Amino acid sequence: MLKLVLRNLSYYRRTNAAVVLGVGVAVAVLAGALLVGESVRASLRGLFLQRLGRATHVVSAPNFFREALAEEVRAGAGFREAGFDAACPLIVAQGVVTHEASGRRAVAAQVYGVDARFWEFHGRAGSAARAPRSDEVLLSPSLAAELGAASGDAVVLRVEQPSDIPVESLHGRKDDVGSSARLTVRETLGAQELGEFSVRPSQTAVRAVFVPLSSLQRSLDRAGRVNTILFNARGEGADAGEASAQTEKLSGLLRASATLEDLGVKLRALDDTRGLTFESESGLIGEGMEAAAREAARRTGAGAEPVFSYLANSIRAGGREVPYSIVTAFGEEAFGRLLKASATDESVAVGTRAPSSAAGEKGLPEVVLNEWAARELGARVGDAVSLEYYVWEESGRLSTRTAEFRLAGVVPIEGEAADRDLVPEYPGITGSNSLADWDPPFPVELSRIRPQDEAYWDAHRTTPKAFITLARAQELWRSRFGGLTSLRVRAASVTGGASLGTFSAALRETLEPSAAGLNVYAVRAEGLAASRGATDFGEYFLYFSFFIVVSALLLTALFFRLGVEQRLREVGLLGALGYTRGRVRAIFLTEALVLAGLGGLVGVPGAYAYAWLLMKGLRTWWVGAVGTTALELHAGPWPFVFGVLGGIVAAVLCIVLTLRGLRRASARGLLAGVVGEGESGGRGDGEMGGRGEGERGWVKRILRRVPFIAPSPRRPVAPSRLLIPSVALVAGCAFLVAASFGAVGQAAGFFGGGALLLVALLGFQSAWLKGRGRGTIGGSGWWSVSRLGMRNATYRPGRSVLCITLIAAASFIIVAVDAFRRDDSAAAARDRHSGGGGYALLAESLLPVVHDPNTNEGRDALNLKGAGEGRAALDGVTLARLRLRPGDDASCLNLYRPSQPRILAPTDDFRREGRFSFGGTLDAEGEARANPWLLLDREFADGAVPFVADATSAAYVLHLGLGEDFLLERGGGLGPLRLRLVATLADSIFQGELIVSERNFLRHFPEQEGYRVFLVDVPEGRDAQGVAAVLEERLSEFGFDAASTAERLAEFHRVENTYLSTFQMLGGLGLALGTLGLAAVLLRNVLERRRELALLRAVGYDRRHFGLMIVAENALLLACGLLTGTLCALLAIAPVVASRGGRLPLASLGLLLAAVVVSGLAASLVATAAALRAPLLAALREE
Amino acid sequence: MLVVENLSKDYRTPRGALPILSGVSLRLNRGDAAAVMGPSGSGKSTLLYIIGALEPPTSGAVTLDGQNPFALGERELATFRNREVGFLFQDHCLLPQCSVLENVLTPTLVASGRGDDYDERARSLLEQVGLAERMHHRPAELSGGEKQRAALARALMMRPTLLLCDEPTGNLDQRAADNVASLLFELHRAQETVLVVVTHSTELAARFPQRFRLTEQRLIET
Repeated sequence: MLKLVLRNLSYYRRTNAAVVLGVGVAVAVLAGALLVGESVRASLRGLFLQRLGRATHVVSAPNFFREALAEEVRAGAGFREAGFDAACPLIVAQGVVTHEASGRRAVAAQVYGVDARFWEFHGRAGSAARAPRSDEVLLSPSLAAELGAASGDAVVLRVEQPSDIPVESLHGRKDDVGSSARLTVRETLGAQELGEFSVRPSQTAVRAVFVPLSSLQRSLDRAGRVNTILFNARGEGADAGEASAQTEKLSGLLRASATLEDLGVKLRALDDTRGLTFESESGLIGEGMEAAAREAARRTGAGAEPVFSYLANSIRAGGREVPYSIVTAFGEEAFGRLLKASATDESVAVGTRAPSSAAGEKGLPEVVLNEWAARELGARVGDAVSLEYYVWEESGRLSTRTAEFRLAGVVPIEGEAADRDLVPEYPGITGSNSLADWDPPFPVELSRIRPQDEAYWDAHRTTPKAFITLARAQELWRSRFGGLTSLRVRAASVTGGASLGTFSAALRETLEPSAAGLNVYAVRAEGLAASRGATDFGEYFLYFSFFIVVSALLLTALFFRLGVEQRLREVGLLGALGYTRGRVRAIFLTEALVLAGLGGLVGVPGAYAYAWLLMKGLRTWWVGAVGTTALELHAGPWPFVFGVLGGIVAAVLCIVLTLRGLRRASARGLLAGVVGEGESGGRGDGEMGGRGEGERGWVKRILRRVPFIAPSPRRPVAPSRLLIPSVALVAGCAFLVAASFGAVGQAAGFFGGGALLLVALLGFQSAWLKGRGRGTIGGSGWWSVSRLGMRNATYRPGRSVLCITLIAAASFIIVAVDAFRRDDSAAAARDRHSGGGGYALLAESLLPVVHDPNTNEGRDALNLKGAGEGRAALDGVTLARLRLRPGDDASCLNLYRPSQPRILAPTDDFRREGRFSFGGTLDAEGEARANPWLLLDREFADGAVPFVADATSAAYVLHLGLGEDFLLERGGGLGPLRLRLVATLADSIFQGELIVSERNFLRHFPEQEGYRVFLVDVPEGRDAQGVAAVLEERLSEFGFDAASTAERLAEFHRVENTYLSTFQMLGGLGLALGTLGLAAVLLRNVLERRRELALLRAVGYDRRHFGLMIVAENALLLACGLLTGTLCALLAIAPVVASRGGRLPLASLGLLLAAVVVSGLAASLVATAAALRAPLLAALREE
Repeated sequence: MLVVENLSKDYRTPRGALPILSGVSLRLNRGDAAAVMGPSGSGKSTLLYIIGALEPPTSGAVTLDGQNPFALGERELATFRNREVGFLFQDHCLLPQCSVLENVLTPTLVASGRGDDYDERARSLLEQVGLAERMHHRPAELSGGEKQRAALARALMMRPTLLLCDEPTGNLDQRAADNVASLLFELHRAQETVLVVVTHSTELAARFPQRFRLTEQRLIET
């Protein structure tokens, strides 16, 4: 049998070659698509590793720590044993770089303060020579290009001025948030020289600037301090488990080497009575630090008493006031001691003020004044005392508030009441020689300061004048940064200098570096995980190539069937000779396997070529989808293996299905060379027909008994043939209607409805082609000949339907996909319920803006109320503010998987406006139904934080549905934060971010200060670009960068549209294959009917008539396919177009039509040429 | 009048020219009917195709009513075949996708200048061949004899001068063959065509007034 198979393969080599080619195309497309996925992943991985250099772990902190910590960790015990071999301290920041000569500005450039150790760490030779010196600066190639900077050019670098004291606290500096330096460009640093160094994975160009570490430290007033250390672990730390273990070890090493200073702790020994004071560099002690200090105190047998000191603008009583006084709060125990030490008798009176009734003040909280203050106020115990103080509101304004107290006692300035160290160091206040020298970051009315106040300052400095309870103080002054200013650690065993060491040692054990913000990140492992990509390009291109694969498989099946039909007599003969049907099938199956195997081999180079072409496309034509030209083809073995196996299995399955048509063919029919549909409607149908023609199948047996459905010669089309398409039509329409009313998703409506409509129309056409009762072809002339040509399409209705299917499927994709293209009109973005929310501009500032630019005070502080053009330009302009936690871009612009996506938090005012349009919401009820932004206030029992994301990003980047959670790693020993998707925005400018409520943002990310993202509402008719220019100029110190929301949307749309173009282009390839199939079918039909053609020639037909007939047949099939695909696509996309206000894809329709005409003509020409080449007499003689 | 003079036909083969016909001459007037017999491969069909202007001779001449078809251009030759020649083959060569009526009308689709009574004539011919009831059926729904009668109607559709038949009854049983032969003669007489039939059937040949035998490349009247 093997010999017979080999002979068959050899003899029918032409037909077999077509089958091999079909399988080859399917394999090439399958394996090629997988290869693209593999290549994108490998390219992303390679790009990330190239940029990361040798770093495997990074230690970084929001606050600066000692540069020497790097060396101490490296030299410490266990460093090498833990698998590490190098460490490099540096400063990492973001900055604005301005080219002095041209004024060109690059916002959000990555700034690295480095020295020779940086290149040494990365193993680059000549590290000392590479490092920038003095006022030199090195630029990455893309930054140099963006600025147009060359060697010797001067640039001004502005970075955020680090501050230990939170900007959004009362004592934080809000106006002097940046530091600038003028530097000279020495050279552009290539990627190989770490010029594109980055620890965050991103495929976009790195805009980096390298400045001398010492210069940057000086400029930032952080001499000898850094905020980052790079570590290198042997073995590269690529394996996630290994990296995690090394992270643990590094954390341990860090804990062993980090000093309390590195962790932002200030510990001072006072005296024997007062013990130690535990403070934070920030001036406020957070919960983590407080817990660690209390635990350290417990371990050393000491007590820890909380202290909260605050500045009161005024202490008032009975019409008198004392300006600018320190008020200190104690815990109950210490406050009780203070009360005991004070005079509490109501008769105690100081000064000459008339006694007041104390009855009304009984319910007020207690305050204790020192004797000086009580005297100045003339207050007596029981009197009402009010404190007036500033509060920096998180909304961005300084407000003055007042709190009422009852004077509970007057304490002499001695003991605890005379302690000057109850107040942490506040720059501009605590170090001043006089009150008149104060320079705090809030307004001070020097005119209110009296000589006695200066005298008090001279005598007692920061000694508090009033004392209240801690509970009340925290009600008034607690912020997200903490509710204490110090802890007094006091016990017999922990007094004096020796005890400082004991407590300090205990504190270093209890205070995790991460609790102080000093975190270890396994950057290489995290980056490699992200390199797997947000999008599996292999999967996408498999989807995109789906129609090519299907077309190729249909062609494979078609060619194989043609080959089988060519050999029907042979099959009949084998049957007559005693071969069982099984044995005949086995022969064909063996041939099919051999052909599929050969096709697989042919497909391997094809896969490489296809993948090469797609990668080339991604680097060039479709670069808008990936944003990088760094994608290279990486040919690993597995895509080929899976592609070849997949292609072969699919092809063999198709062939097996094809062979099923032979199962019921009679030997006589086979010997006559006919089977199935060839004799459509003929007497022999029952005997030889395929599945679609005979009386087999229980469905048909039942249908034949149903009145009005049973076949009848009087009906042109048997009703039974219309049943399935009719059901599909109804179901398809139902899907589309349901999609229109939102009962099913648009995607389900589109794919489900579209597919069912295609099935329906193809079914109707199949029934029509198999039917009868057409008008008689008569008359004469081109139309009559054309009709005869069209009638030929009914010769093999199955083949014709196959051709129509191929063309229709490709047309469907090309037309339907076009309707999903996004509209980029700026006007659309100005609609309040559009993707731009009605805002004209989207801006981002490099440095946090804490003032509210919508208030007079805020505009004053931000220099937005100055004279000149700017003032008028900003009239009526409002800015919606959003807090930002920087992170990975979660939009389709980022190919890497975002593990730390950017998080935004708009103000409540913004949310109440209910702008933007939502795609979906999670169980919205009540007000939230009308304004889904309110869903961000929802409380979940499991503590999940609700968030809103753009629908596209949620689906394709985060891969999340409504109600699903994103786990955000926070570091600091806090564990992951569970974020739950409660609503999706439809086609918005927020594709790169997750949006949470401001309340949740401040609770979970307290370290993120101020507002950095702004949506600018520009009155109708005003020049938005003019407003952008003014804002950028006035807020240049903040690195303010504004862009049109329409541009931002267009940027996202370009990516989506590029993907759609890719899909369309590959759909076009499917169309080309469909046309190839059409040509093959026409050719085959012509060859099979050459006797008929010869006869027609004998009766007077010439080549013009044959050409016309073939073109007409071709045109009919093309038109049917085109109309079917287009009509189904237009119906399927109607709900989408209606809901999105899209447009009909006229351009692509035109192109499609042109492509079909050209390809159809080509197919016709091939078939006509073949028809005319056929030897007619030989055909006539074949009897 | 059909005049065939000194006709020769060679086929080129790798081993040189293969003579099929040599010095064949024939002269038939309107209303004449001739049968050509001979063993398989003797060149009977080749002669028929040359006479029908489907294949050019190597040498010699063929004229029909004084017109040499091989002197015509491609289009004129096609028109000549359409107007002057009717073919009937052993295998009916009906278009399976067309009805019987449409098959009969097939030659009219490319005809010009002969009026517009084609449909009526086709129906009339089908009535004459006894297929009036089957004109809307497909060929697959007809018996062998019916198919050949339909093919005969198609051959006569354009009122040809010359009716050429290649084994017209070769695929039919005796009864059907007699039936078709009778119809053939009847219609030939009615239309006064020049009828040339190539056949192996001695029974059919016996019904012709003129009979020829093609042997050793030459045509001999018997």
